[in-house]
Amino acid sequence: MIQCVVLGLGIFGASVARALAEKGCEVLAIDEDEEKVKEISDVVTQAVQADATDEKVLRALGVDKMDAAIVSTGEDMEASILITLLMKELGIKTIVAKAISPSHGTVLRKVGATRVVFPERDTGVRLAESLAAPDILEHISLSPEYSILEVRAPKSFIGSTLREIDVRAKHGVDIIAIKKKLPYLTDAGESDFKEEILITPNADEEIADGDILVVLGTNRKIDKLRSL
Amino acid sequence: MVQDEKRDFAKLEARIAQIKNRKQKVEKLIELGKFYFLNEKYDEAIEKLKEASKIDEKNAEIYYNLGVVYESKNLPDDASQMYTRALELNPGHQLASKHLEKIVGK
Repeated sequence: MIQCVVLGLGIFGASVARALAEKGCEVLAIDEDEEKVKEISDVVTQAVQADATDEKVLRALGVDKMDAAIVSTGEDMEASILITLLMKELGIKTIVAKAISPSHGTVLRKVGATRVVFPERDTGVRLAESLAAPDILEHISLSPEYSILEVRAPKSFIGSTLREIDVRAKHGVDIIAIKKKLPYLTDAGESDFKEEILITPNADEEIADGDILVVLGTNRKIDKLRSL
Repeated sequence: MVQDEKRDFAKLEARIAQIKNRKQKVEKLIELGKFYFLNEKYDEAIEKLKEASKIDEKNAEIYYNLGVVYESKNLPDDASQMYTRALELNPGHQLASKHLEKIVGK
């Protein structure tokens, strides 16, 4: 499993560190704030209160032996640039840095970031997309023409099998997965549901109310399907 | 005097029976709602639960169940309203709070 260092434990950095630890990665989390370090210490492999711009400290912590670094001190531009540069000098192959503006991103790339992320910009775009088209739950653009989209099953599909709907022939798209909700009663007799994903579903699979279809096709054909 | 007392007692008994009936009716409607939900008949489940909420509008269980059904139908805004109402009536409803956090975000 890969070893990662997360430098800066704000909301973004702490979330990355937690998710990496949950996926079984060895995570070294560093921040100057004692409270933030304390909060995450039970989740990650090692959490240290230290100055992430100090090369000696970083070497002593074994940061130079890490496979990947996540520089998440975005708000403090000077620190994030300096830390990214240090990561490059320490020889870390994958350096992901968080930027707060395009010019910040350009500088981070120039000093050694192998990938720059703009969480605020990306969240803003996703929010706008979800408000403009509430039926689209997820959108992955494969090329300017092709996309994979998560959409709510059109009402006309409910109660029919994939064979009966025959989306490839009738609509020119493929349903590559179906996300289903499976209702059940808890031990205490309360209603609840589990979520299940059927990858490459069987032709006899029936579409139920509330199903989410993962559709692959051209943007034009998917748009037509959405208007059903 | 004795006659008056008898009349009051009869009134009280009638009132208790009325409350009992009302409670039983609500319980029956919730059970029916759950039954339809388990069979993925979401619209029918909503109908029964809404009927129950008209009789007992302060029952957190009804709103929680409505929330789960709306969420299963991919109607997060309606679901979130129902979970919020359930939590107003019963702030300790853990499942309602878990589902609401999932929709709205912590």
